[in-house]
Amino acid sequence: MNEAAEALGLRKGLGIADARAMHPDLEILEADPVADGRMLCRLADWCDHFTPLVALDGADGLMLDISGCAHLFGGEDSLLREVMRRLGMQGFDARASLASTPGMAWAAARFGDRPSVNVVPGEEEDALSPMPLAALRIEPEIQRKLESVGLRRIGALLGAPRGPLARRFGGLLITRLDQALGILEEVISPRLPVPPLSVERRLGEPISLLQDIEQMLLLLARTLKQDLERRGEGVRQLTLSLFRVDGAVTRITVSTSQALREPQAIASLFREKFTVLENSLDPGHGFELVRLAAISTAPFLDRQEGLTDDRSSAEEEQFSLMVDRLRARLGDHAVLAPAPAQSHVPERQAEFITFSDWMAQASSSGVQKLAADSRGTASASALKQDAVPFATPARPLRLLVKPELIEAAAEVPEGPPFSFRWRKAIYRVARAEGPERIAPEWWLETKASLARDYFRVEDTEGRRFWVFREGIYDGKSMPRWFLHGLFP
Amino acid sequence: MNSIPTYAEFGIQSNFSFLRGASKPEDLVLAAKLMDYTAIGLADRNSVAGVVRAWKQAEESEIAYHPGCRLVFADDTPDILAYPQDRQGWAHLCRMLTQANMREEAQKGAPVLYRQDLFEWGENISLAILPPLDQPAQDVLALLRQIKKPFDKATWVAVAPEYRGDDRWRLAQAAAIADAARLPLMATNDILYHTKDRRALQDVLTAIRLKTTVAKAGLELEINAERHMKLPEEMLRLFRDYPYALAETQRFAETLSFSLRELEHNYPDEVSESGLSAQDELERLTWEGARIRFPGGVAPEHEALIRKELGLVERKNYARYFLTVHDIMRFARTKDILCQGRGSAANSLVCYCLGITDVGPDIMDHLLERFISEERDEPPDIDVDFEHERRKEVIAYIYQKYSEKHTALAASVVSYRGRSAMREVAKAMGLSEDVMKALSGSIWGWSSAEVGEQETNAAGLKQSDPSTHHMVTRANEIMGFPRHLSQHVGGFVITKDRLDEIVPIVKTAMDERKMIEWDKDDLDNVGLLKVDVLALGMLSCLRRCFDLLEAHYGEHDAYDRPYTLATLPEEEKPVYDMISRADTIGVFQVESRAQMSMLPRLQPKKFYDLVIEVAIVRPGPIQGDMVHPYLRRREGKEAVKYHSEVMRSILKRTLGVPLFQEQAMKIAIEAGGFKPYEADQLRRAMATFKRTGVVKDYRDKMVRGMVNKGYPEEFAKRCFKQIEGFGEYGFPESHAASFALLVYASAWFKAYYPDIFCTALLNSQPMGFYAPAQLVRDAQEHGVEVLEPDVNLSVWDSVLEASPFNPARVAQQHCEMRFTIRSSHAVRLGFRQVKGLSEQDMEQLVANRRDGYTSIRDLWLRSGLPKSILIRLAEADAFRSMGLDRRAALWAVQALDEASASERLPLLDKPEIGLFAVEPEVQLPVMRPSEHVVNDYRSLTLSLKAHPVSFLRDQLKRSDVVANGSLKDLRNGQRISVAGLVLIRQRPGTSKGIIFMTLEDETGIANIVVWKQVFQRFRPEVLGSRFVRITGRLQVASGVTHVIAERIENLSGWLNLLTREGGTSFGEHKSETKKRKDDHHGLIQPAATSALTNVSSVMPKGRNFH
Repeated sequence: MNEAAEALGLRKGLGIADARAMHPDLEILEADPVADGRMLCRLADWCDHFTPLVALDGADGLMLDISGCAHLFGGEDSLLREVMRRLGMQGFDARASLASTPGMAWAAARFGDRPSVNVVPGEEEDALSPMPLAALRIEPEIQRKLESVGLRRIGALLGAPRGPLARRFGGLLITRLDQALGILEEVISPRLPVPPLSVERRLGEPISLLQDIEQMLLLLARTLKQDLERRGEGVRQLTLSLFRVDGAVTRITVSTSQALREPQAIASLFREKFTVLENSLDPGHGFELVRLAAISTAPFLDRQEGLTDDRSSAEEEQFSLMVDRLRARLGDHAVLAPAPAQSHVPERQAEFITFSDWMAQASSSGVQKLAADSRGTASASALKQDAVPFATPARPLRLLVKPELIEAAAEVPEGPPFSFRWRKAIYRVARAEGPERIAPEWWLETKASLARDYFRVEDTEGRRFWVFREGIYDGKSMPRWFLHGLFP
Repeated sequence: MNSIPTYAEFGIQSNFSFLRGASKPEDLVLAAKLMDYTAIGLADRNSVAGVVRAWKQAEESEIAYHPGCRLVFADDTPDILAYPQDRQGWAHLCRMLTQANMREEAQKGAPVLYRQDLFEWGENISLAILPPLDQPAQDVLALLRQIKKPFDKATWVAVAPEYRGDDRWRLAQAAAIADAARLPLMATNDILYHTKDRRALQDVLTAIRLKTTVAKAGLELEINAERHMKLPEEMLRLFRDYPYALAETQRFAETLSFSLRELEHNYPDEVSESGLSAQDELERLTWEGARIRFPGGVAPEHEALIRKELGLVERKNYARYFLTVHDIMRFARTKDILCQGRGSAANSLVCYCLGITDVGPDIMDHLLERFISEERDEPPDIDVDFEHERRKEVIAYIYQKYSEKHTALAASVVSYRGRSAMREVAKAMGLSEDVMKALSGSIWGWSSAEVGEQETNAAGLKQSDPSTHHMVTRANEIMGFPRHLSQHVGGFVITKDRLDEIVPIVKTAMDERKMIEWDKDDLDNVGLLKVDVLALGMLSCLRRCFDLLEAHYGEHDAYDRPYTLATLPEEEKPVYDMISRADTIGVFQVESRAQMSMLPRLQPKKFYDLVIEVAIVRPGPIQGDMVHPYLRRREGKEAVKYHSEVMRSILKRTLGVPLFQEQAMKIAIEAGGFKPYEADQLRRAMATFKRTGVVKDYRDKMVRGMVNKGYPEEFAKRCFKQIEGFGEYGFPESHAASFALLVYASAWFKAYYPDIFCTALLNSQPMGFYAPAQLVRDAQEHGVEVLEPDVNLSVWDSVLEASPFNPARVAQQHCEMRFTIRSSHAVRLGFRQVKGLSEQDMEQLVANRRDGYTSIRDLWLRSGLPKSILIRLAEADAFRSMGLDRRAALWAVQALDEASASERLPLLDKPEIGLFAVEPEVQLPVMRPSEHVVNDYRSLTLSLKAHPVSFLRDQLKRSDVVANGSLKDLRNGQRISVAGLVLIRQRPGTSKGIIFMTLEDETGIANIVVWKQVFQRFRPEVLGSRFVRITGRLQVASGVTHVIAERIENLSGWLNLLTREGGTSFGEHKSETKKRKDDHHGLIQPAATSALTNVSSVMPKGRNFH
């Protein structure tokens, strides 16, 4: 729910149907906790700036252990300000708090009366007292129980005897209280780094020349290759991270169409990127850390080279490498491939798709076929539909750009032509097959057009044509004839 | 080729081949007739759900018709058109399909058929195989030979041109294969729709079936529009090389002699104790019943009538039907289950004697159409209502008695209607979510009416836009199409022969229930016995009323028998007076807002007035614009006149205004020149035929007929309009009469024993229009004391406790009742009113209670109930008899330690030495009354302590809000504000977009009218508020007070004040909100309130009705 929805008076837990009944123009987006989680992880990464000890805190929070770090930023208050300022610049509406215990900080960040609070040691009780029970990180069930006997604020608990509370609401309540007050120690467990396949090099002497970077890249790629070989894998996606001395990070990502591990090949892909980026890549005072990480990997099929003269596979590799380089430089949409399209209308039976889609289709076409099977009912007719390749009569491999009008004399009402005139020449039809009647795709049309009757015809001299009649002779209209393609 | 070739089509799928066929069975038959086919068959995919509809149409169109089925196999067997040759063949086909339906692996609605089934049940069926020509000829040939072997002369090869470029080859191949297999070749066009312009719809159906869009369905769509019905000449041209294939269709037809008529009257044989024939047994039971019904002897005119009716039953051979219904009801009575029959056949004297209905002859004398109409030849129709909680016992009995072989539920055809049609088509057309939402948002309710300019405009779409245009056209075409079969709520078909040899049986979502493929109308048309076994909450309530009356008051009738529905004192004036004042909360049928506003105008004085009241506030009469003329005539503002003597006889009792379905039908027959069966068809057609133009034909026919006979055109049109209304919401007088009896009975209890009535209603929840809070409040306003549930005083159900009646407690507005009410008991709420308790647990609590529980520990130890249950009880404030309020009880319950088993040891079973004694004391805040009320609502959905709004009265007063109770003292037309909890929002389909809201505060009810424009402005407030303030003008008319809303504010947030610490002062609340805002720079404050403190979610959400 965004602010606008809240302003309309919508609340969490309301059914979509009810909400929509109230506001028919409501826009509803599925919650995407996975994406939210990714975002939070990215933020956590970014927080590396402030302290190496960053922990994820639930689905919407980060816990930073800043012990010994605050002085780097000019003290606690200014650290807090800096965090808020930079988050604000990134467009985040954040709340933060700084305190001597995780529990206190957690509570103040969420229930404090200001968006950013620094709770000075010794003021914990005062800060906690007016807060609702939820600030204690207790289960809703326990909170509900406490509220049902009129205990609604933490203050009400602070003064109460511990025994009766523990007896009724469990030990965790007391633990949480003590943790917030600092009576009980609590440690932050930093977010586990995702074990990526990554290699990095810290540099005593920052580098800034492109050729140094490429050199470094090649070095890293070699190390990476060893790791990949050990795992029997190749990379499908790679990210090169360049950490500038002043903390800014540049990330460059390339993807490949085949699992790859050859350092030279990897370097050449990045070279394409560098060419594009050249002007925007600002080394500033230089990069002090270079990291090459394999974002996604795939099994690498080891091939013995040289023994057999398997040129085709080598060519294929060459080809896909070329495509990868083109894509790296020009973007994914620069490389297209023709693919069959799902339409009865001849001119719409092929379409161009991006190379990566084409690759995906090619590798999963077997799977797709299966999926198509399971969609239909398990019946005889479904089987028949699968046999379409057989039922579709041969068509010219290439069509004329536009069907060309011809003059024809034909059998009424829906027979093949006896003869026709195309580009001023007259052809006499010796054999004909058809009609194949193809109805227009009505959903694309504003006004109804006519069905086409296609014929494969052969003239007296053995030339073969693909012609069609638009409409049929129904006594009212004179259908036109067209030539749409030639057979070899 | 000059003569017209003879041709019959057998490869036809209708829209009962779900999401494949794009024409209705009726349309296909009509088209076949127009094309001069010699015969037509219907063969839907593994189903015969559409055959009866096609049959009826064929009878009317006078074309030879053969019901069949397209067998579609789960193995590699090709599709086969299967047509039964005779009754035996039909039985086989039904068995085969049932077997396929019942397969373990068969999902609902998708039978799994194997070739083996065909070999098992294929006898006496003519088969036309559609060979797969794209497979190797040798394989196909082997397959044909295999099928031919057992069935030989009953086997054909069928082929259809496909227009895919290779038809010449395909036909030649088929002919060659047929020759090789020595089978005749038969022509078909493998029909999916009757005319070619249905192709687009068929594409949409395909997309819906494949859950994709038309644009993406691609090659799954038919390549062209050729699968429509073609003229025989055209078929001959297509098969010019094989003219004999057309002749074979005739030969195929000649093998088929089965007609659905042969299934008629397959009534079960009731075994009679006396060994008499069915008719004799029926007569014996009737006369026996007559003696009980008329203890003083049967009057001669009644005797004559009984004889007449019995004669009719004998002539029509219906005795077994009545015996079956009688037997089911007899069973219910032996189990003390209250039940009542209704329907045209039910309101006969015979049925009165048999106990099928309690509508006695003195009432029935008034009825127009009393029994089965002989000339209309419709089968008897009896619906039986049972107590809703006990219907399953009756159903179990039916299953047990007739066994699964002879009984199953009727189907009910779920079809595409306004919203669903629009949504599915829009999805198939690939329209964006937003557009779909906007569109379905513009259609309210259940309407099957056409989607037009208005709706699309409302959604911001232009009809001139092609995709909108396509979508709207397709949606209107698909409207009324069957979507799937679902089980009827309670319509049982019972047959003498094996049911699965009459109609295929299908699995339903509930394992133990099976249903058939035909719906009620189909069963009517075929003439099979069906009984509607329905559930009615009011019967459960009345059963409890009678039981309580007998237990606590012992009031008996003149023969010293306990009262029953039939013997309650009739026509008592105080009862009618109460109804006339619209004091009818809880009374059957007349408790809705619309009914209540009608009652003061109608002023019912006698039973028949109730019959009218039940029927009048319904879409039929309202759409037909019959209500106001009737009211004017009744109030004497308009003279009663009849257009003719015929009309006088039909309309006398409704003052010349047709109100009942029977009257409308009778007018169509007597004045409109319809034949009786036509009138019946007309009524049924209304629901389904809306857009086909047929309706217009009917209208023209009726209006012309009536004008020719000298009736004013305007009157004729209104009569027709009313029939249109009935089509969808048919309400006949015969049903109204049965319902009116329940109206009277429930009103009788409410008038004399509001304590009994309230208790019975509470124990029968959920039912009716009002929530327990309103029922309790109404009882209180009638002077009944209502007591809180208590661990030491309550049982599961609410019960009566002796307590003298004090007339002074009766609220001012009901003061007339002070000397009518005979109550002498208070209502003690039962544990069933408490959220989250189970009957079993509470029985345990009551069983161990002995002389009462003395403390919470005592209760815990002796009842053996877990702590969680005790918490529920504490939350319900049910420990008052121990001197503990809710908070104290909760505190104590929470201290019980379930983990330490020692607490439960008998040695320590001394409550007084519990650990509490040594526990340091905790000062809990005192729970304020308003908080108690909120928690009462949370746990009980009502509060006996106070009304939540009463705590906000000061604030409301300060903002010039008038109490609901004082509305009646204010001037008509005054501009005022009211506020209250939203009880009900109602938007009747007939109200042109007006919404009626009912608000409740501590002083009473306010009725709000929200006009369409106002609703559009305040839509979120109307639909989303639980507590609302409405400013508008007061309107007083005919004793009914409304507020016409102009401004609506959602005050739900105010409710949170009820549980705020430190009182409910509004000022404080306001300033604090402001302060918080400032502090947070507009940041959203994270929700600090938990569910417990969010009061508005506790208050009733308001029930929505259409």
